[in-house]
Amino acid sequence: MLKLVKYEWKKQRTSRLVILGLLAAGLIAFWGGILFRNDTVTVLSLAFLYTFAVMVLFYTGVESVLVFNRDLRTKQSYMLFMVPKSIWQILGAKFVSAILQMLFVFALFFTAGCLSLAAAIWHSGKIEAFVQFAEDLIQAFTEHQFDWMVLVEAAFILFLGWVLIIMIGFLAVILARTVLAKSRFAGLFAFILFFLINVAVEWGFRFSDLLPDVAGKGYFGWDIWNILYYIVACGGLFLVSGWLADRKLSV
Amino acid sequence: MILECRNLTKSYRGKRAVSNLNVRLEEGKIYGLLGENGSGKTTWMKMMAGLAKPSQGEIFYNGHPLNYMDKNEIAYMATESFYYDYMKVSDVEKYYADFFQDFNPQKFKELIARFGLDGQMKARNLSSGMNAKLRIAATLARDAKLCMLDEPLNGVDYKAREDIISIIVEEADENRTFVISTHLIEEVESFVEKAIFIKNGELIKLVDLEQERAAGGRSLAEIYISVM
Repeated sequence: MLKLVKYEWKKQRTSRLVILGLLAAGLIAFWGGILFRNDTVTVLSLAFLYTFAVMVLFYTGVESVLVFNRDLRTKQSYMLFMVPKSIWQILGAKFVSAILQMLFVFALFFTAGCLSLAAAIWHSGKIEAFVQFAEDLIQAFTEHQFDWMVLVEAAFILFLGWVLIIMIGFLAVILARTVLAKSRFAGLFAFILFFLINVAVEWGFRFSDLLPDVAGKGYFGWDIWNILYYIVACGGLFLVSGWLADRKLSV
Repeated sequence: MILECRNLTKSYRGKRAVSNLNVRLEEGKIYGLLGENGSGKTTWMKMMAGLAKPSQGEIFYNGHPLNYMDKNEIAYMATESFYYDYMKVSDVEKYYADFFQDFNPQKFKELIARFGLDGQMKARNLSSGMNAKLRIAATLARDAKLCMLDEPLNGVDYKAREDIISIIVEEADENRTFVISTHLIEEVESFVEKAIFIKNGELIKLVDLEQERAAGGRSLAEIYISVM
């Protein structure tokens, strides 16, 4: 399956390069603004970087679904389905590749954010302030002033929510290319289905809230049932997608 | 027998592309798949390649129901380009080497050199004829037990056609089966051993051309005209 992941990863190479290029341009503008004490450039570049980060995080979430849809809509689907790999391996590779892409984007923006912050503090002429800031940060983390679990919980919930969106997207695409393939409006139906399945899953989420609390709620109000529900929902969506594709998908 | 189709049917939007097709392919033979445009040849090949799922019926490969692992032994060349946009000729080689154990990189290199292709050429920038040569090279560089070529002679120049035909003849032995879909009947007449005629998705006739030739019978073109 690693080989499949390798080729899936390559498919999103262009978007990674575009993200890298635009991020670099934004950072250069930001650093230039600081260096030449041009507040307009600094503020504009910061606004751009912030908007760009939100857009990229959203786009990266759905890009793998768009790529999968393109794969099935064009003859390039032969590349995937002519190889001696099961549908589970093919879907699994797409899923792993989507996670890698998301992690890459997270890491990229985190690094960019750290570099920008460091540059801003350092250039303010107070290198001591930067050193002090770094020391304070390390102290906060190491002396438990900062609750690591909140960060972990936030990242985990974000990750689960994102995986769910991917799984729903995959299922909607497969539905459009299998049971809805006879329809001229399969694409439109798939788009509508994407939102309907989302609503249905969120509706089910409310039921998981009704279950008795066994281990308390986290910082964001999630308990173990909510997490289990999301995991089961993701697994269920993956199974239905694979089952449908295995029996019905023609490319 | 290497492959058997039983009551194979494939419908698209209510229209039958292949209808109740029953056919058996023998090992070590070269089959010509003949029929008019839209007769169901490509759909049938895609089902055998595991790319399309039958609406009804079954396909058996070496006695068992066709499954994804059989793609290790089945090679399919599509009529159109299907490589990823970023791929160069050398990337196609790597891709096939990564996924197919029967792929022979040395043979691929020899074939692309024979067809005038270069490893650095971008697949999507190739002309249709050159792209066809690339697809043929990639498919024939596999030592697949069942090799299906969908219109391999279309859009390629005369010399390349001769090359393709001679490669097929060189490669064919008692262990390898070829199915070649084509409209260029005269081009394949000399080496095709059996002809499968398809019309409106149905098998019209399967002719043993060796017997036909031995009996001093009609040419393939004459049979085609009489059958269609």
